[in-house]
Amino acid sequence: MKRRSAWLWAFLGVAALLNLAPFLYQVGLSLAPPERIFASPWPFAGFTLEHYRYVLGKLPFGLYVWNTLVFALGVSLGHLLLSLLAAYAFVRYRFPLQEALFALFLVSLMVPFVVTYLPSYLLVAQLGLLNTFPGLILPMLTAGYGVFLLRQHFRHFPREVLEAALVDGADGLALLFRVLAPASLPTLVALFLIALIGAWNQFVWPGLVANRPEMYVLTVAVQRFAGGEGGSAWGPLMAASVLATLPAFLLFLLFRRTVLETFMEGGVRA
Amino acid sequence: MQPVRGGFWVRGRRSGLEAGPYPYLVPALSFLLLFVYWPLLYNAWLSLHEWNLVSPERRFVGLANYSGLLADPGFHRLLGQTLLYVALALVGNFALPLLLALATLALPPRWQDLFQTLFFLPTVAAASVASLVWLYLYLPAVGPLAQLLRGLGGGVPNFLGDPAWALPAVALVANWKYLGFHYLVALAGIRALPRGVVEAARVDGAEGWPLGRYVLLPLLAPTLTFLFLSAVTSALDYAFIPVEVMTQGGPFGTTSNLMYGAYQEGFRFFRAGVAAAQAVLLVGMFAVFVVWQYRLLSRRDGYEAA
Repeated sequence: MKRRSAWLWAFLGVAALLNLAPFLYQVGLSLAPPERIFASPWPFAGFTLEHYRYVLGKLPFGLYVWNTLVFALGVSLGHLLLSLLAAYAFVRYRFPLQEALFALFLVSLMVPFVVTYLPSYLLVAQLGLLNTFPGLILPMLTAGYGVFLLRQHFRHFPREVLEAALVDGADGLALLFRVLAPASLPTLVALFLIALIGAWNQFVWPGLVANRPEMYVLTVAVQRFAGGEGGSAWGPLMAASVLATLPAFLLFLLFRRTVLETFMEGGVRA
Repeated sequence: MQPVRGGFWVRGRRSGLEAGPYPYLVPALSFLLLFVYWPLLYNAWLSLHEWNLVSPERRFVGLANYSGLLADPGFHRLLGQTLLYVALALVGNFALPLLLALATLALPPRWQDLFQTLFFLPTVAAASVASLVWLYLYLPAVGPLAQLLRGLGGGVPNFLGDPAWALPAVALVANWKYLGFHYLVALAGIRALPRGVVEAARVDGAEGWPLGRYVLLPLLAPTLTFLFLSAVTSALDYAFIPVEVMTQGGPFGTTSNLMYGAYQEGFRFFRAGVAAAQAVLLVGMFAVFVVWQYRLLSRRDGYEAA
């Protein structure tokens, strides 16, 4: 028994270490003195903030953070609101074509973006919305995941509570926002965070639609920096990448339990 | 409009102000139709045309884009490489997460929590940024992997520059990025096993292989199916960002796949019709898996899929 558990620990420990190694290198390089970067396989000696200073002086990070924040908040709040309303419609009412309409949401999760991006891009361009926040945000507001998750969650809501609320005269928006939503707060927070982190990390769509430097989001800015002068400047590049990754990591670590549980409950790719 | 029948779980008193489901449904539905289903149709229409994205003229070519692709050895190669990505996803995002989940569940709960968080972290990182880090790890000669291998006395491949190594190297990044999610699904599925049934089988003397084959396997079947399908369908787009950031499909197109190829046709070579046709073929080829996944999800969610 003891032997077996030693193997287990070794297997999981090594796997976890390998899994996290890229992050260790990312942080290690961003703090390593330049001469350490190729000196050995372990660039984790010495400590300097010069890469951070360089990057923050060189790139308009505040602007990128602002762009990313507006984009990510727009997408996640919109996603939350739209899916809240639609999921409510699916559980509160019965209506013709209900199952077919729900299937539309579910299937949308499995449509690869390569099929939808070109037409969406053309539409956004035609509306003159390239390099604008509406052009960035609106096409991302397809709420398939949220509708699926919340509908599943609402269905398990205790029936007696709802019937009591109905007797009290709470129906429609009141039933949704005074009864269902407050009671489902952890799931709503998790859905919001999953959407927020997902949007924060978006790369392909913002790279297509927001290609003017003053509209770059962080992921795009870091990649363009790597494609240009940052390509060989690994220290500054890793400093920039740490700054871009950190907010999503902190949010996840703070709300770890709720997010993980909701992921398990939904069992759907975000 | 048909009158609304009773609620799904509640048969409420309907006030005059209550407008039925449509006001709630229409906002989300509009975005869905405008940015998923209209593009799908438009894409299908585009696939029958020749167009460079800017010219006002779109020439109708019928199925020429399709027959062109099907006859093109380059397209066959993309198909083969796509299947290779899928095969590697079955190792990294099906087999490995299951193994890790089984190992994790043998630990005390407090440690399970820790490993859950540690294995999930790459899922939270931006794929594009993480791919830049891997670019450093893979650097020929001076990168840490190369130095390490040299230190061990082995040969040092140029991971992203050598056609034989590049696809597995890119797939590793993609698998790493999605491992945490699949691990979580595996954990949830195994945890949800009905203990009573398993215990009863044990009491009846089932052990080892029979216990696994006739009790655990059938109980785990939905989780295994979901994991398998998720690994297959996510393999379609999971390599996209690593490819774009690390190799742009190279060297000599060896890391490209149907997804990336379609994107390049459209946004790099401005052959919108060919890109659209390739996207349609891609969706067609994976339709079986997508429909299967849909049926599984809708059943789990309480609807029997029609």
